[in-house]
Order: sequence, then structure tokens, then C-alpha cells
Amino acid sequence: MSTFRRLLGFLRPYRKDVVWSFALAAGAMVMTVLIPYLTGVAIDSIRDGTRHRLIFWTILIAVAGLGRLVLSVLRRLIAGRVSLAVEVDLRNGLYGQLQRLELSFFDRQQTGQLMSRATVDLQSVRFFLGYGLIFIAQSILTILLAAIAMFALQPLLAALSLAPVPFVILIARQYGHKSRPAVQEAQQRIAELTADAEENVSGVRVVKAFAQEGRQLGRFRHSVQRVFDQQMYATKIQAFYGPLISFLPNLGLAVILLVGGRQVIDGTLTLGQFTAFYAYLLMLISPMRTLGYMLGAAQRATASGARIFQILDREPRMTTPPGAPPLPEGRGRVTLESVDLTFDGNTRPALTGIDLDIAPGTTVALVGAMGSGKTALVSLLPRLYDVTGGSVLIDGADVRSVDLGSLRHEIAIVNDDPFLFSASVHDNIAYARPDATRDEVEQAARAAQADGFIQRLPQGYDTLVGERGLTLSGGQRQRVSIARALLAQPRILILDDATSSVDASTEQEIKAALREVMEGRTTFVIAHRLSTIALAEEIVVLEDGRVAARGNHNELVERSDLYREIVEKGMPDQVFMTRKPLEAEVAGL
Amino acid sequence: MTDRNERLNELRRRLKATSGRGRKLRGLAQLLSPYRWRVLAMFMSLVIATAAALAPAPLAKLAIDNGIKHHDVATLDWVVAAFMVSAIAYAVFSYLQTYLVGWVGQRALQDLRVELFSHLQQLSIGFYSRNRAGVIISRLTNDVEALDQLVEDGLATLIQSGLMLIGVVVILFFLDPRLALLTFIWLPILAIGGFLFRLASADAYRLTREQIATITGYLQETLSGIRVVRAFGQERKHIAKFAELNEDNRRANMTTVNLNAAYFPAVELVSALVTVEILLFGGIAALDGHTSTGVVFAFIAALNNFFDPIQQLSQLYTTYQSGMAALDKIFGLLDEQPELFDAPDAIELPRIKGELRFDGVSFRYGKDDDGAWALRDLDFVVPPGQTVALVGETGAGKSTFAKLVARFYDPTEGSIQIDGHDLRSITAHSLRSQMGIVPQEGFLFSGTVRENIAFGRPDATDEEVHAAARAVGADRFIEALDEGYDTQVGERGVQLSAGQRQLLAFARALIADPRILLLDEATSNVDVHTESLIEQGMRRLVAGRTAIIIAHRLSTIRHAGRIVVLEHGRVVEQGTHDELLAREGYYWRLYRDWAEQAAA
Repeated sequence: MSTFRRLLGFLRPYRKDVVWSFALAAGAMVMTVLIPYLTGVAIDSIRDGTRHRLIFWTILIAVAGLGRLVLSVLRRLIAGRVSLAVEVDLRNGLYGQLQRLELSFFDRQQTGQLMSRATVDLQSVRFFLGYGLIFIAQSILTILLAAIAMFALQPLLAALSLAPVPFVILIARQYGHKSRPAVQEAQQRIAELTADAEENVSGVRVVKAFAQEGRQLGRFRHSVQRVFDQQMYATKIQAFYGPLISFLPNLGLAVILLVGGRQVIDGTLTLGQFTAFYAYLLMLISPMRTLGYMLGAAQRATASGARIFQILDREPRMTTPPGAPPLPEGRGRVTLESVDLTFDGNTRPALTGIDLDIAPGTTVALVGAMGSGKTALVSLLPRLYDVTGGSVLIDGADVRSVDLGSLRHEIAIVNDDPFLFSASVHDNIAYARPDATRDEVEQAARAAQADGFIQRLPQGYDTLVGERGLTLSGGQRQRVSIARALLAQPRILILDDATSSVDASTEQEIKAALREVMEGRTTFVIAHRLSTIALAEEIVVLEDGRVAARGNHNELVERSDLYREIVEKGMPDQVFMTRKPLEAEVAGL
Repeated sequence: MTDRNERLNELRRRLKATSGRGRKLRGLAQLLSPYRWRVLAMFMSLVIATAAALAPAPLAKLAIDNGIKHHDVATLDWVVAAFMVSAIAYAVFSYLQTYLVGWVGQRALQDLRVELFSHLQQLSIGFYSRNRAGVIISRLTNDVEALDQLVEDGLATLIQSGLMLIGVVVILFFLDPRLALLTFIWLPILAIGGFLFRLASADAYRLTREQIATITGYLQETLSGIRVVRAFGQERKHIAKFAELNEDNRRANMTTVNLNAAYFPAVELVSALVTVEILLFGGIAALDGHTSTGVVFAFIAALNNFFDPIQQLSQLYTTYQSGMAALDKIFGLLDEQPELFDAPDAIELPRIKGELRFDGVSFRYGKDDDGAWALRDLDFVVPPGQTVALVGETGAGKSTFAKLVARFYDPTEGSIQIDGHDLRSITAHSLRSQMGIVPQEGFLFSGTVRENIAFGRPDATDEEVHAAARAVGADRFIEALDEGYDTQVGERGVQLSAGQRQLLAFARALIADPRILLLDEATSNVDVHTESLIEQGMRRLVAGRTAIIIAHRLSTIRHAGRIVVLEHGRVVEQGTHDELLAREGYYWRLYRDWAEQAAA
């Protein structure tokens, strides 16, 4: 109930409009109910044989029709605007909240789940608030008014002929309950079928290479059959309930004919009243159904609302004290003081007791096996996560005490599988500085060795990339994202396996360029290639979330067994024949 | 099964023989023809259900005029009994009709999907390179859905509403021709108004659907890229952009709100006006004794049956349009001819020994003569069991070379032979079932690890799957997965690293025990441990087979029995590592450059 009431709260800013649309709906309904009544009176005047009274009543019907027109148009215009406004509010509210929540929230949520909150759940709430409430009010009002009119005309006949009404409402509601999951399941299976088709189209070379066309066809046929079965299940529900719901009101009509007919013969009912009864029942058929469906929709909206509130009610855990100062000026000194980090939902710490002090302008290489905590460590600097214990200081300021925006502005990360937005190459590079000129963008791209291939794209820097644009290869995306990081002119640059998909010679060129650009900035490098590691002035070896050793290359070769092992196995043996980037081939194959 | 294939071939033949709209409708009819008895039953139910739905109005008239007015209770009872019979008949036959329409429509679309899919499988790789995957997929999904609408909603509505409308017109005409004509003058107004409304709102709805898709896409994207958003502190920019998209959507939606607000109340008004008209003229006529009160009553009772079908019919046009557009695209796809097919006298390739011969092979993509040569004048023989490393810059023709061996394309000139058989003279199935292909990006299908390894040999036992995984060194990481060999991978399962996918692709190739192996070595960097696993796995894989490797790693190239250096589609050097270094040519220069870098 409280969820329901909170849902109604979304209508509060539009209280006046809501009241208006209810009032207008009520007025329109009164007109609607008047029409059969007037029709009955008019028919009686035929029997009375008075022409001017017939004309009078029919004119009243026309007036009622016109009145209804005006009221309905106004109601629809107002209610439609409210509905759209609520939709915008809901969506912006949810999106704003998602952008406020800390990153670890997203680690534990599947994107698909969040998407379904923001689409399916939001849709059902919006539909209910925008239309459902009015439909329910309208239907109840119609049924009530018609029932009152019928009881006023003839109580016994009214009671008999209205008997099917509650059943129709209940059955319509049940129909909604049954058919909705069935239809959803059918859509789910169609989605699976689509995924199947997708896989077979993208993997067509593998299918052909292994000569497995027959088996894949069999699998596809199975998916198609699953869709068919579910569609038929949904069809059966529809075939059963649809006619049943149409049938029940006919019972009422038959009662009117049978009982009402006799009453007309007895003289206890006029033929006009008889007509009015008949017309009322016909008129009630659609509100009965609507009411049934809408009651179901109300339930769904409440359930959806509860799920949306789960997100809206979640307090952002990563907060900055109000009025926090910006990150103080500095050259990028990074200090970690006995830092512990355990990710939400994990028991094993990712980092334990890390103490590091990195002088400004140093290039630091982080080395260690997968899962040793390299990425966890660097994600603490821009405060993507908060430490569980200890503190992270940049130029002397605890990252938790400064304005988050100013902190992140000074730190740029490039990782091994960089994400590009569906926008032009220019916009992607200028992501952190949308006001950057084309010259600046090109300069950053040149430093990242990306300018060459970008020039060769169909529309150069204006080529649309990302999910809805041209697919770039891993190496190309990495270079675009390096350019993106460089353009941000950060105090601290983090390269997390950033050149893993770039071939060796291009990597050397990138590094040469980086050395210039990063002069005087602090750089963290995570890499597997010895050539990259050896470039660093300082190497930190991580093992199981602890610092196992640190020093320069020569010191570590002597001191650390772990480092020696990495060095011996990590000879730069690979990718020597590929002098030019492979992207064209990867994208074309 | 063969019956079905024959039928589908017949369908395709007929579709090609005809053209234009007639062709499309005939194609639809052809789709439905195997289920003609059910289609017939469907039509029967439709007719009966419609007739039953029409019955109440004239029955009510009978009840009034013959029963109530004559104080004849017996007649009244009979009429009510008939009324109940028609109500029950309506319920029963609309059940049948709904069921049958659903069955026939879904079955026909199921056939069409399977037909499209199997046609797609026959198309050559060239087709897939020319067309974007999204477009091809949408033929199988969106376009078939649009057709679903046409077949299920469109057809049923057309028939049901059409019959209903005709029925009402006939009944009303019999009841009172003059009153009927007065009612019918509204018909064209309603029909044209409804049609215009649908046209206008179809555009508006399409626009809002697009807007919603944009919003959903934006949401999806910024959620997937949330780390980047956070890392660069761009939350506010996205919130503003999102609000802007929402505003656009609201504006587009406003059009539909306005259209609906104008149209539906107008229809209601017309219905009130028709009531007024009937009462006025019918009433006066009844007063004058020209007609009966029962007739006036029946007209009013029948009004709903008159308005609903017009509404629904006016909606049909948009369904028809989108369905026809979908049919166009679907038939366009069915018209695509496979470019490579088995020769009529193609033989089954016997078990391959592994000798591969290129005989004056030249190749260019596309059919036009002015295209650049991707490969030119290749002549050489690979003896059985040799490992050949292809080396060269991007665009030198390495991938093309591999594609020709797999017969994804036929050479433009010359011939390629395996054990003396021209590839064009043998069946594609017998060739590829003896060939292992390991692409650069290890593509996995959704399914378990086990299913992916056994992809080329679905009947492989668990032992064989495990043995293959062990042989290429994939067993350790597989066993460390939550559900081992039963772990779901691919798009709908866990994400594997590039190195892990590569190892699975090795195991998949190994278990098929191919006689010839085509391997496109991955270029991406993996950690040191996986690197050495891949190196060992690859050695196990090529042992004892003829192997063509598009090589990027020095260790691979060093171990190859022969290195073929390609440049601009031509072979510039061949030999072993040591021979080529001694020659101090192209390969030697590559090696020298690399060594300098490694030292840096």
C-alpha cells in the first residue's frame, strides 16, 4: 500500500491537472450515461405519439454528444500531458539516481536488470499513472452511474441483468494475469531466437569451417519450435478467455429480453425503459473489461514501483563532504598509507596493507599475476572505489576529502578493453573536454598513433564508432582511448594493459610519444611486455594484494624471485612480423 | 522431411517465377497451402462466429415486434432461446477461430524462418562480407514479425470486420432500407477519417518508437560504459543529454496525444449523432406508421457492430504496408543465389593425406575485372604434414590465401588441389569436415564448454573432449570454472579471456582430427602463463598435419617447416628461418627490425 501511495506521489506536481482530468472524465461519463437514458425516453415518446417531444429528446442527445466531445477532448489533452510529464520525471529521476550511485553498485547488478527497471518497470508505472488511474475511475464511474440509472428504472431487472458484471471483471483480471506472463515468455523466446540467429550469422565462418550447417539448422528449428509452442499457449489463453468475456454480458442481455420483455407485456416497464436497459448493458461491456485489466495493471505497477523504489531509495555510499575543496595544486604525488580494499560481496581482500609513496612525475610499473591487485590499486586513485582501510592521498589531500569532479579531472585511465561511445571519433577523443578543437583532438590522436588509421576511416574524425557505428578493432579502440586520456591533460595517467592489442612496433611508437607528453606527469603502467615494464623508473611487484617487492629493473632481477620468473617468461617473442596495424583485416574478416 | 524440402523448393521456384504484389500474395498463399484444411476450418469458424455476433440485433427486433408488442410470451421465449444459442455459438466458434488463426499463422511463419535460415546457410562467405550482420538478422526476426502481424491480425481482421460490416449492412437494409441509407452515409466519412487518422498516427508512432529506441540505446550504452563515465567525471553531461532525449520523446509523443484527443471523441460524437438521426427519422417514420419501434431499437442495438469494423478496417492499411515491405525484403533475401555450390558430379573427398597444391592461382574479390588482385600467380606444393607459416604485412594476402584453401571463395584463375583433387570437383562438406580452421578471434557459441569443444564432432565422448582439452593445455582453466566443462560460455554465458578462447578453439579443432589445419594466430597480448600454454597447445595441434598458419609470433615462425613471405599478393620468399636469414632479404630485414625493438 505504501508503495502504491508513493507511486501516486509522482502525480503531486501535476495535482491540479489530475483533478481537472478526473472532473472532465466524470463529466464525460455522465454524458455517456445520459445518452441511453435519453434514447429510452425518446423511444417512449414514439409510443406516446408526440412528435415534438421526440424531437426535443433527440436534440438533447445531440447536445449530450457534443458536451461529451468537448469534455473528452479536454480530458485527453490534459491527461496525456500529465502522463508524458510523469514519464519524463520518472526516467530522468531514475537516470540521475543511477549516475549518483557508486561504481560498486553496478559491479553487483547486471546491466540487463537495470535496463529492465528503466524500461519495463518504468513503462508499467507510467502507463498506470498516466492512463490506468483514469481508466479505472472512468470504468467504475460508468458502471456505478449505469447501475444507479438501471436500479432507478427497475430494481429487479437491474439486479438480474447486472449479475454477470462482477464475473466479467474478475475473469478479465484473471485473463490479464495468465496471458501476460505467457506473452512475456513468448517474447523472451523470440529474443532467444534472435540471439540464435545472431550467433549463426556472426559465427557463419566457424559453422561452415566445421561443416556443421545441418546441426545448426536443427538447433534453430528447435528454437523456432519453442517460439511456436509458447505462442500457441498464449493463443489458447486468448482463445479461451476472449470469447468467455464476450459471452457473459450476453447472459445479462438475455435476462433483459426474457424478464424485461415480460415486464413490458405486464406494463411494469415501458418499451423505452426496456431499450435503455439494453443500451446500458451494451455500454457496460467495455468498462467491465477495462476495469478487470486495469486492476491487474495496478498490481503490476505496484510491483514495478517497488523495484524502482529499491533503486531510488538507495543512498549513494560514495559521498563527499558538502563544500569539499578542489584537489590542491600539485605535480602528482601519490601516497597510499596502509591501504586495505575488499570489494563489496567478497570476503577475500583485493589489497592488504599497501604503503607506497610515488614522487611526482615518476613512471611506475605494476607487475604481478592475474588477480594480484594491480587494477584494484589504480582504481583507487580516481576514487572509483573507496578504500576499506587506510587512505589514498594525492598531492597531500585524501581523495575522500576533495571534490570528486576535480579529482577525476586530474586522472585519466586507459584499460585493455576500452569502451567507446556511439559518437564520432572526434567526440570520443574529446569526451572529457567537449570544447576541445579539432587541432587539439588531432594532436592527441597523433601522440596515440591513432591519427593514421582515423584519417583512413570513411569520414575521418567524424566517423561514427561504438555499438551503433563502425566497429573498431581492439588495438584501434585502445589508441582512441589513449588519445582520449591524453587530451584530458591529466596530472596522473594510468595505462592498465592499455596497449595489449596494439602490435609491438606501434606500441613502441606510442611509448615514444607518451614519453614526451607525460614529461613531468605521474604515470602508472600495467603491462605484460618486458619492454614496457623496463621503461619504468620504478617497478612494484604485487602478489595476492600485497607489495612483494619494489625497485628498478636491475635491483628486482637480483632481489625478487617472482620478478625474475616474470622476466624470463616474458621475453618479447611475439608479434614481430606485423609491422602495420592489423585492424583492417580484423574488421574485414 | 524431403516432402518439406520439396515444398520449400517449390515455394521458392514460384516466388521467383512471379513478381510484384501478385507474387507476394501468391507467396503468402503458398506458405499457407500445406495447411489448407485448417485454413478452411479457420474461414468456416470466422464466418459462423461473425454471423453469430450479428444475430443479437435482429433477434432483439423480433423479440420486441413479434413478442413484446403482441404480448406473445411464447415467441419471446423462443427468441431468447435463439439469442442464447447464437451467443454460445459465438463463444465456441470464436474460440476455434482464434486458435486456428494463431496456429496457421505461427506455423507458416515458423516454416518461413526455417526456410530463410537454411537459405542463409547455403549463401557463401562473400554474401556475409557484403551485408551487415544486423541487417541479415533483422530479416529473420523483425521482418518475419511484421509478416506475423499481417498474417494473424491483418487477415483475421480483414475477414472478420469485412464480414461483420457486410452483415450489418445487409441486415439493416432488410430491416428498413431508407433508415439504412441514412445510416450508411456516415460510412465513407468514418472510413476516410479513420484512414487518415491511421496514416497520421502511424508516422507519429513510428517516430515515438524510434525515440524510445534511442533512449533505451543511450541508457544501455551509458550503463555499459559507466566506468568511463565515472573515470572522466562526465555524469552531469550524460544526465543533461538524457533529459534532452526524453524531451524529444515527449514532444514526439505529444503528436500522438493530440491526434488521439481529436479522433476518438470525434468518433464518439458521430456515434451519438447517428443515434440522433435514427431516432429522429426512424421515430417520425414509426409515428407515421412507416416502420416499427422494434426496427428503431434494432438499429440502435446494431450501431456498435457498425462502428467497430470500420475502425478496425481503417487500421489495416498500415499493417498491410509494413507486412508487404517485410515480404519484399524477405523475398529479396531468398532471391540471393549461393555463389559457391557443389558441382553436380562432385565427389566425396577420400581421407586426406595432406598434399596441398597451388597451380597458377590468382584471385580478386568481386566480379568486376578492374579489381585489384588479392593473390597473383601462386605456384607451390605443400607436402603432407608440413607446417607453413604465412608472413607478410596486412593486405599482403595471408587471409585470402587461407580462405581459398577452405573454399570460402574459388580462385579467379588457376586451381587449388588437395591430394590431386581440384577443390571445385569435391563436395564442400567432405572437404571441410576434414579441415580444421582456427580463426583469430576464437568465436564461441552459447552453450557449454563441452559443446563448444565438440562442435565439429557432436558425438564425441566426454573422454575425448577432456583429452582434447588436456592436449592443448585448456584443461586447467576449464576445471577451475564454476561448473567445469558444463559452464555456459558465449554471449549468454561467462566471459572468457582472449587467451582462453584461443585455447578452446584449439581443442575444438583438435577433436575434429582435421587432416589440414588453417590457423590464424591471435595477435593480442596475453599474460605470460597463457602465452606459453598457447605455444604448447599449438604445437600439439599441428603435429602430424598439414598446417597453414597466418603467423605473428616468432616462436611459431621459427618452428614452421616452411616460411612463405607474401607481399602484395605474391610470394616473395620461401624457406626455413635459417635459410631466409642467410638470404638477407625481406624476411631478414623484418627480423632485424624486430630484434632492434626487442633490445630497446
